[in-house]
Amino acid sequence: MNTKCKIPLFLIFIFITLLSPGMIHAAGYGLSLSPPLLRVNIKPGKAITQVFTITNLNNEDKLLVARVVPFSESDESGNPKIDLKTNPTWLNYINLANATIKLGSPFTVKANSSEQLILTFSAPMTAILRDLYATLLVSTYSNQISVPYQGSQISATIGANMLITIHSDVSPPTLLKINQLAPVSGSFIKFGNFYLADNITPIFFSSSVKNDGNFTSETKGIFKITDQKENPIYLEGILPVYVITNAQRTLLNINGGKFSFTPNLTQVGYFKATVQIKTDNSNAENSNDIFFFPFKIVIGIFFTAIFLNIIYRTTKPKVSD
Amino acid sequence: MINRMFGFSRSPQEQSLTVSSIFHSAVQTISNPIHANQNNPHNPKHFLQKKSFFEINKPILYLLVAFIFTFCFHPTVLADTLISPSFQIDMSTINMTGGNKSSASYRLSDTVGQTVQGQFNSAGYIIKAGFQYIQGLTPFTFTISNLDLNYGSLIPGTPSLLTNILTVTTGSAYGYTVKTLEDHPLRISNGVATIADTSCDLASTCTQSDATPWTVGTRYGFGYNIQGTDVDTADFVDSTYFRPFPIQDADQPATVMSRVGIATASAATVTYKVNISGTQAAGTYQNNIQYIAIPSF
Repeated sequence: MNTKCKIPLFLIFIFITLLSPGMIHAAGYGLSLSPPLLRVNIKPGKAITQVFTITNLNNEDKLLVARVVPFSESDESGNPKIDLKTNPTWLNYINLANATIKLGSPFTVKANSSEQLILTFSAPMTAILRDLYATLLVSTYSNQISVPYQGSQISATIGANMLITIHSDVSPPTLLKINQLAPVSGSFIKFGNFYLADNITPIFFSSSVKNDGNFTSETKGIFKITDQKENPIYLEGILPVYVITNAQRTLLNINGGKFSFTPNLTQVGYFKATVQIKTDNSNAENSNDIFFFPFKIVIGIFFTAIFLNIIYRTTKPKVSD
Repeated sequence: MINRMFGFSRSPQEQSLTVSSIFHSAVQTISNPIHANQNNPHNPKHFLQKKSFFEINKPILYLLVAFIFTFCFHPTVLADTLISPSFQIDMSTINMTGGNKSSASYRLSDTVGQTVQGQFNSAGYIIKAGFQYIQGLTPFTFTISNLDLNYGSLIPGTPSLLTNILTVTTGSAYGYTVKTLEDHPLRISNGVATIADTSCDLASTCTQSDATPWTVGTRYGFGYNIQGTDVDTADFVDSTYFRPFPIQDADQPATVMSRVGIATASAATVTYKVNISGTQAAGTYQNNIQYIAIPSF
């Protein structure tokens, strides 16, 4: 074979090799679930239906399994402590209305497509008036006994929370208690029952709320700074989040941060920081007195005076007779 | 008049000729009080009197007092910042209408209507989906880059390391946690021998909730490290800090990622480490590791 023939053949080989490999990709996991949160107020004897959409973000079909697990506690950030082991009877109130998909049974979601999980909740007439908390979990499903290699097989689960209140009233009685409101950073010291704070330094406050009632409540309210005449000089909204029964939650501002107040030089004297929460049938409030004073400036002037005095004394002429 | 001089009985003109330019300023400093003294013949030692602290700092003290009086006794100022672009008012109810309103000076996200009671009475339920303060219902998303971790042939005393990446987008949720647990320690496929979960270096042993360094080659076991966004960097200080996995049905799942607030593609890399001793039984060791991503409420 001459050289002229070899070159085209070589080029064809290169093109075939580089352009037509089989589709090879690492087995991954990518799922999305919507909505991530469902809040339901329902009367006994009624039923609701909510569609959850599960989307397979992979380029391959996925075998999944859906289940509902209860939880009764959450941390201060609203993360449920799910209980994978318990199986209370009220979980029977929750079912899937899909024709082919059942809770606990595997189903396939095709690559890059979605499937709807039609979840129904039926509260029997005899249901106890109380809150029920559950998480819908959708997991990767494997019927392999073991992987064909030495290693770990990863399974993944995605969840959506459900906060369900069974009650005859739209606003069942709630009992929120604001545990504390206190400065956490800034220039301040605690003096008796109030705080002495510098008025050129931003001051940050932390606060938390506990639900001592039997039903979920929402943290709707404001953080405010008022002067001696109770005139508000600063307002900040509270991020409205759910507080489940017997749980405590950190209160945050609308942006998800700590409450903060940046005083100015003209704000000197007693002020009051207050957190107010209003629900449909109860109010909660907590406050702290703060005395703002330009401590930093005064200290700065004092030390400047001493410094100038030292300079003056060291440069003062010494004259002897 | 005889000029008062230091060490010299010469006239000022003669003295100035004897002082070099380097010490000129010093001469000036000394000579000024001399001249002052010359102008006060009745008080020849005037320049030697000590001034009090108050006299020296009089202007500064006046300034300080004025400052305190100004700021302590100022008239009440009624601020007009109640309508401020720095905060927004949000209300929630089962609504007739709602949405976002804005102008140059305010931003309002609201829902209008008080139909909750009516709807609840007629229909018997109220449903709210998603987090109110995030517009639209966007899905909660969790991805893992690789589900199959093949450690290959393990060499005693030589750790085998593999990684994958966890990614979370909260969508309409306001925060999340990712927890993990294993079904059992790495276990031989047709037997009971296991590669124990690591306890890290002997100097500071790790637990399921407390990562510590695992660098010593003679410390054997199986564990993980995680680095990236929304990881507790106070615990996983660097890539040498490891933890053992909690065991399903025996332990609580361990949190590996968490965030309060919105997350957009928060990603963290998990490193899995296996190190075996020379006495480890030969065979194929396997287990299942589970990650659970749950939004906050």
